[in-house]
Amino acid sequence: MTDIVTMLTMNWASIIGIVIGGICIAVGVHFVPVGGAPAAMAQATGIGTGTVQLAAGSGLTGLLAAGYMYMTLSAAGVPGISEVALICATGAVGAMIMITVTMIVGNWVYIYGVGVPPASAKKDYDPITGDPQAPYVAAGTVGQGLPTVCFVSGAMGGLLGGLGGSLIYCMLMWVNGDPAISSIFAIGVFLVNAVLPSYNIQGTIEGFHDPKFKRVPKAILACFIASLLCGIIAVTIPGAAMLGGA
Amino acid sequence: MSASTETANQIDTKGIVVGLVGIYIAGIAASAEIPYLAFLAGIGAVFATKMGADAVRRVCSYGIGTGVPSIGMLALGMGIISAMFGLALGKMYNAVFIGPIVGLVIALAIGFVVGTLANKIIKLNIPVMERCLMEIAGAGVLVLTGLSVMIAGSMDFVVITEKVIATGYIAPVFILGALGILHPFNASLGPDETQDRTLIHAYSCGAIGMTIAGVCSIAVLDPIAGIISIVIGLAIWYVTFMGFVRLVKRDAGAGYVGTGLLPPGAM
Repeated sequence: MTDIVTMLTMNWASIIGIVIGGICIAVGVHFVPVGGAPAAMAQATGIGTGTVQLAAGSGLTGLLAAGYMYMTLSAAGVPGISEVALICATGAVGAMIMITVTMIVGNWVYIYGVGVPPASAKKDYDPITGDPQAPYVAAGTVGQGLPTVCFVSGAMGGLLGGLGGSLIYCMLMWVNGDPAISSIFAIGVFLVNAVLPSYNIQGTIEGFHDPKFKRVPKAILACFIASLLCGIIAVTIPGAAMLGGA
Repeated sequence: MSASTETANQIDTKGIVVGLVGIYIAGIAASAEIPYLAFLAGIGAVFATKMGADAVRRVCSYGIGTGVPSIGMLALGMGIISAMFGLALGKMYNAVFIGPIVGLVIALAIGFVVGTLANKIIKLNIPVMERCLMEIAGAGVLVLTGLSVMIAGSMDFVVITEKVIATGYIAPVFILGALGILHPFNASLGPDETQDRTLIHAYSCGAIGMTIAGVCSIAVLDPIAGIISIVIGLAIWYVTFMGFVRLVKRDAGAGYVGTGLLPPGAM
């Protein structure tokens, strides 16, 4: 007989992990250059889709990578802290690969297909390369494509998103030991923590150099409370094996 | 504007009552070795989809700045946590029948907290945010529980884990549930959006989810029960989709032609 109170007292460490993971996702969302519909028409800097689609895409790729690593490492027993670090690193790299591939292919389409130079409208000079941006922003638009600073920022966003998603997955695996329940739960917690920051961004953001990035503390506070609530609920769910199932 | 409008309270009552009654009849009948009533859980999910779609319609008309799909994913994100918690709690205390109601209550609580966070901390300042997120989370739970009960033919957490989650059928349930909630308003939005057109589209999206869940249940529940669900789902889809096409033609201000050419006035 498994009891809620016992589950909560046994798994307090997992709640902390889930909250840290949720905050990583919330901050990661702010790093991803999201252009929304205007970017799809090459009229704004960033990738031409919504925040949630990008965060979910990179997060789920990270989760797949992390799940594979977990399976490999757990062959030698329940993973400890050092194994969890490895799993989270794998998840982060998986998410970074997904988001960078999306950005580089998107840039090919913007440069060779649409015929626009990648340029940021939020800064006159690229903070990383120092290249001038203003002369290349087409009249009537707010930038186009993915200049270097956005690309680097997006890769960092993928890192944080994948790290957070894999951390939540590992914490849930510690609790219930069931990959299916853990992954579907990690997706649920991930989506809540990806949508709340996207309301904070309100549409489009270019990356860490965007003035909207200063809103991050509000998203961290909101996601802290939301992930705490999700974490408390999530760790009280035992795996099917603990309940006498197969 | 359309002649017939339903208030939020009417839609919520129908969604919650039909959703829960459908889930319970299907779950109880299945535990009494009659899996053929599983489609009732699907019908409950269709009404819950409509409830979610109406809440999306009301909250998104304020302009949330991130596109309508985000809120549908949020619904199912909150929904899956609450639905699984409810079912697991029922199993832990050996009372599987409290599962859906506990899930619904938890979803309403999470929806209220997330809505308050969005309004008070992120400062979206949308007056209906708390209520709509509660409705959306509740719809997410009822859709997920309804379609899961329909596929597994049981409200037992262990059976649902084995037959729906471990088999991977949770993925189509998740995404079709989210699409049913987010797509109707996403497809119909604009200055000429009417409630009856959006909601009949929600019925047809819900029916697609029900049909696909019926296909999944052929393998894990019972072939005849699965085929009954598919036939009923397709029938609901046909009727509601034809109704949607009729309302689209009614609302098409510039007239329409059926051949794909532009209307005469536009050429």
